[in-house]
Amino acid sequence: MTRLLDAVDGISGIAGAIAMAMLAVLVGSMIFEVVARYVFGAPTIWAFDISYMLNGSIFLMGAAYALKADAHVRIDFLSSRLPERVQRIVNAAVYALVLAPVFAIFSYIGIEKTVKAYRTAEVEMVSPWAPLMWPFYAALAAGLLVMTLQLLAEAARFALGHKSPGSTEHELEDTEAL
Amino acid sequence: QEVTWRVPTSVPEGSFFYNNFLARFADNVDRLTDGRVEIQPFGAGVVVPALKVYEAVQDGVVEAGHSTPSYLVNQDPTNAIFASFPGGMSAEATLTWLYEGGGAKELAEFRKEEMGLHSMVVGVGTSEVLAHSNKPLKTVEDFENLKYRTSGAWAAVLKEDLGGVPTVVPPGEIYTLLQRKGVDAVEWATPGSNITEGFHEVAPYLILPGVHQPTFVWEVVVKEDTWNALPDDLKTKIELAAKLTTYEGFTHFLDADMKAMEEFAGTNVEIITLEPEVVGKLREAGRSWARKQADAKAADGDQRMGEVLKDYLDYQARWTDGSKYLVRDGN
Amino acid sequence: MFPALFALVFAGIPVSLCLIIVAVAFGLSAFGDLVFLQLYGAVLTTASNFNLAAIPLFVLMGAVLERTGIALRLFQALQLWFGRMPGGLAVTTIAMCAIFAAASGVVGAVEIVVGLMAIPAMQRYRYDMGLGAGTICAGGSLGTIIPPSIVVVIYASIAQLSIGKLFAAIIVPGLMMVVFFLAYVVVRCMLRPADGPPVSREEFDRPLAEKLAVTAKALVPPLALIVAVLGSLLTGAASPTEAAAVGAFGTLVLAAVLGELTFPMLRQAFAVSIRISCMIMLIVVGGTMFTSIFAVTGGSTLVRSAVDALGVGDVGVIAVFLAIVFVAGFVLDWISIVLICVPIFTPVIKAMGIDPIWFAVLVMVVIQTSYLTPPMAPSIFYLKSITPPSITYGHMYRGVIPFVLAQLAVLIAVLLVPAAATYLPSIMVGL
Ligand code: NA
Ligand code: NA
Repeated sequence: MTRLLDAVDGISGIAGAIAMAMLAVLVGSMIFEVVARYVFGAPTIWAFDISYMLNGSIFLMGAAYALKADAHVRIDFLSSRLPERVQRIVNAAVYALVLAPVFAIFSYIGIEKTVKAYRTAEVEMVSPWAPLMWPFYAALAAGLLVMTLQLLAEAARFALGHKSPGSTEHELEDTEAL
Repeated sequence: QEVTWRVPTSVPEGSFFYNNFLARFADNVDRLTDGRVEIQPFGAGVVVPALKVYEAVQDGVVEAGHSTPSYLVNQDPTNAIFASFPGGMSAEATLTWLYEGGGAKELAEFRKEEMGLHSMVVGVGTSEVLAHSNKPLKTVEDFENLKYRTSGAWAAVLKEDLGGVPTVVPPGEIYTLLQRKGVDAVEWATPGSNITEGFHEVAPYLILPGVHQPTFVWEVVVKEDTWNALPDDLKTKIELAAKLTTYEGFTHFLDADMKAMEEFAGTNVEIITLEPEVVGKLREAGRSWARKQADAKAADGDQRMGEVLKDYLDYQARWTDGSKYLVRDGN
Repeated sequence: MFPALFALVFAGIPVSLCLIIVAVAFGLSAFGDLVFLQLYGAVLTTASNFNLAAIPLFVLMGAVLERTGIALRLFQALQLWFGRMPGGLAVTTIAMCAIFAAASGVVGAVEIVVGLMAIPAMQRYRYDMGLGAGTICAGGSLGTIIPPSIVVVIYASIAQLSIGKLFAAIIVPGLMMVVFFLAYVVVRCMLRPADGPPVSREEFDRPLAEKLAVTAKALVPPLALIVAVLGSLLTGAASPTEAAAVGAFGTLVLAAVLGELTFPMLRQAFAVSIRISCMIMLIVVGGTMFTSIFAVTGGSTLVRSAVDALGVGDVGVIAVFLAIVFVAGFVLDWISIVLICVPIFTPVIKAMGIDPIWFAVLVMVVIQTSYLTPPMAPSIFYLKSITPPSITYGHMYRGVIPFVLAQLAVLIAVLLVPAAATYLPSIMVGL
C-alpha cells in the first residue's frame, strides 16, 4: 500500500517537475516576445498562444503536486478544534468519495476532448498562428488524471493515519525575533 | 412557456454586441411567440467558454448558442465568406445577399451538414474602423513593418501581402499597449463600439474605411434535433424574430456609428480616409487571400468554399454595377 | 448554495475544492449529467486565460527575492530611515505594495511578492502580527485599485465605459486608499508603539555615510527591478502580463549577478511558485464554476428582482447597490460580483442620469473590500498559504478590519467629493 502511495507521489512529483520546467519556458517565451517586438520590431505570432497554453498546463500539471504538499488553502480555525481522527476521516471521505470521482470524470472528458481535437485537427480559434490544440488539451487531461490519483492517495493517507489535513510545513518558517 | 433555451454568447453581458444582437433576439422571440419560447441569454464565459459556444451546443450542454462564424475561420476558412473578409461586400450588400441572394440558406446548409446545427442569422454589422493608429497610414507602403493588432484573415493579408507585423494582444491589454506605443495600430470593431473603448484617447489617428472587415455576421445556432422537435408555428416565429433582430440591429448599428463619428470629429483625433486607389489594392489583396484558401480547400477535395466564394464574388460584382442608381447622401 | 459552501469550508476542506463540490452538486439539478461537460468549460476558460499567466511569474519573482538576501537587505535599509517612525516596516510594506500594484493587475501576485519579503522582516522586529497580516492583505488588495487593473478592464467592457477613463478615475481613490492605510498604521503605532516597534537607537544612529552605503547596496537591486518592470510597462516594451515576466527574469539575473543563484535555491523557488500559483488558479477555477452554476440556477434573477423591487429614481438606490456589492463581497470573489451585478446595475444607473464613471469607481472601491472581508477573503487565503504557523486566521481576520474601514472611508470620501473620481478623466488628453 505504502509503495503504491509513494508511486502516486512520484508521479505527482514528476508532473510538478514538468510544471517547473514549463514555468522556465514561460518566462523565456515572454521575454523573447518582449525583445522581439521592442528591440527588433518583429513580434512573434506564437508567444501569446504558447504563454497561455503553458500557464494552463503549469496549473493542471502542478495541481496534484500542490495537493501532495497540502498547499491548497483550508480555513481550519473551526475544524482544527475537532479531534484529529475526525478531521482525517472527514477529509478522507470527501477526497475519496466526492472529489476523486468528480476529477475522474473531468479527466475522462479531458481525454475525450484531446482525442476529438486530434482526430479533427482542431486549431486555435482566433490566433493568426492557429496551432493544433490537442497537445494543450492533453496536458490538461494528464494534469487532471494525476490530480485524481493524488486525491485517492491523500484520502488513503488520511484514512490510514499517515497524514493529517493542514499538517504540512508552511512556505515561510517563523523567523527569530531580534 | 413551452420551450426554454439557455443561450450563451461570445461577448460579455451588457456589451454593445450583446444588447444589440442577443438581448434583442430574446425580446423579439418573447414578443413574437407570446411568451411561449423563453430565451435565457448568458454573457461570455459565464456558462461555457467564450469561444466554445458552437461546441457547447453540439455537446448538448446548452440548447442554443450565439456566436460568429469569424471564430471558426481558422478551423475552416469557408466561414470567412459568411463572416465577411477583407475586400468582402459592404454591409448593405451583405444583408441583401444573405436574405435575398441565398447567402443565409447556404450558411444554414453548411452548418447543418458540417456541424449538425440549425443556423439563423441574427446580426449583420456595419463597417469597422480600419485602425486606431500612432502613425498616419496613407499608402500601402505605410503598412510595411507596422505592428498592428489584428487577427483572422486580415492578419494573414497584412503579413503576406503588405509586409506588416500582425501582433496578438489580449483584449484587456490593447488600450494599454496602444497608449504606450507597444503596438503602432489596432483594429477592434465599429465606430459606435470603439468609442467606448477609448482608443482615440491614446492614438492620434483614426483610419477609414474598414475594408478589413466591411461587415460581420452573427448567428444563433440550435442542435438539429432540438430544432426539429419544435412545432412548425414556433419555428416560423423564431425565424421571424431572428430576421427582425437582424434588421433592427443593423439600423441601430448605423445610428450609433453616425453618432460616434460626430463625437470623434469633436476630439483631437485626426481622421484619415484612404484614397480609392489604396483601398482598391487592400481589397484585392483580401479577395486574393480568399481565393487562395478556396483553392487549397479544393486541392483537398472540398469544393464548397470555392462554390460559395464564386457565388459571393458574383453577387458583389452585380451589386457594384447594379447599385449605382442608389442616391448617396452628401453629394 | 452558500450554506453548503460554508459547511464544507468550515469542515476544513480546501476552499477551491469546496467551490468545485458545491458547483457540481447544484449543477446536477440544472444540467443533469452534462454538468461535468459544462464545468470542464470552467477549467478550460481558466487554463486559457492569458492574463492569469502573470500569477506564476510574479510569484516566481517573489520567491527568488525571498530566497536571495535582496528582500531582507531592503527591509533593513529602509528600517535605517523609517526605523524610528511608528510602524516603519508596515509603512514600507504598503509602499512596496503600491509600487508593485502599478506593475500588476491581479491581487494574489502583488500580495505574495511583498508578503514573502515582509513577513520575515516583521517577525524579526516583533511586530503585532494582526497589524502585520492586515497590512499585507490590504496592501496586496491594492493590485486592482491602482492601474493597470483586470477588474477595471472587465467592468469597463461590461458597462461600456472607456477603460482609459476608468483607469484615470481610480488613480486618486487608489492613492487615497494608500494614504488612509498609511495613516492608520502610523496613528495606531503612535498610540501603541509596541505593535510596530521602532528599532533601537544604537541600530538607528549610524554615521550618515554608512547609512547611505548600506541603503545604496540594498536599494539598487529592488530599484533596478522596479525600473525594469515599470519601465518595460511605461515605455510600451511590455504589456502588463509580460511585465511580470520581465520582473521574474530580472530577479533571476540579479540573483546571478549577486552570486546568489544556486541550483538548490532555484529548485526551491520554482517549487514554491508552482505550489502557490496552482493553489490560486484552482481557487479561480472553483470560483468560475460556482459563479456559472449560481448564474444558471437563478442567482442573477435573484439580484435582479431585488433591484426591481426598489424602483428607479431614488438616490437610495446607489446606497442599496453598494450594499449589495459589499455583502456579496463576503461570499463571492470580484469576478462573480462584476459579472452578476454590473449588467443589472448599469441600465438603472444610466436611467437615473448618474455619472457612470463615478458609480463605477464607487463599485471598484467596495469591490476592494471583498478581498478582505471574511469568510471568503482571497487576500487572507493567499497570505495563509505563505505564512508560518504562528500567524493565525485570528490575526488575519482581526488585522483586516481596520483596513476595511479605511476602504469604506475612501468610499465616503468619493461619495461626498465626486471630483476625486471624475476630475482626472475629465482632463484627459484628446477629449
Ligand atoms: Na494594478
Ligand atoms: Na470577501
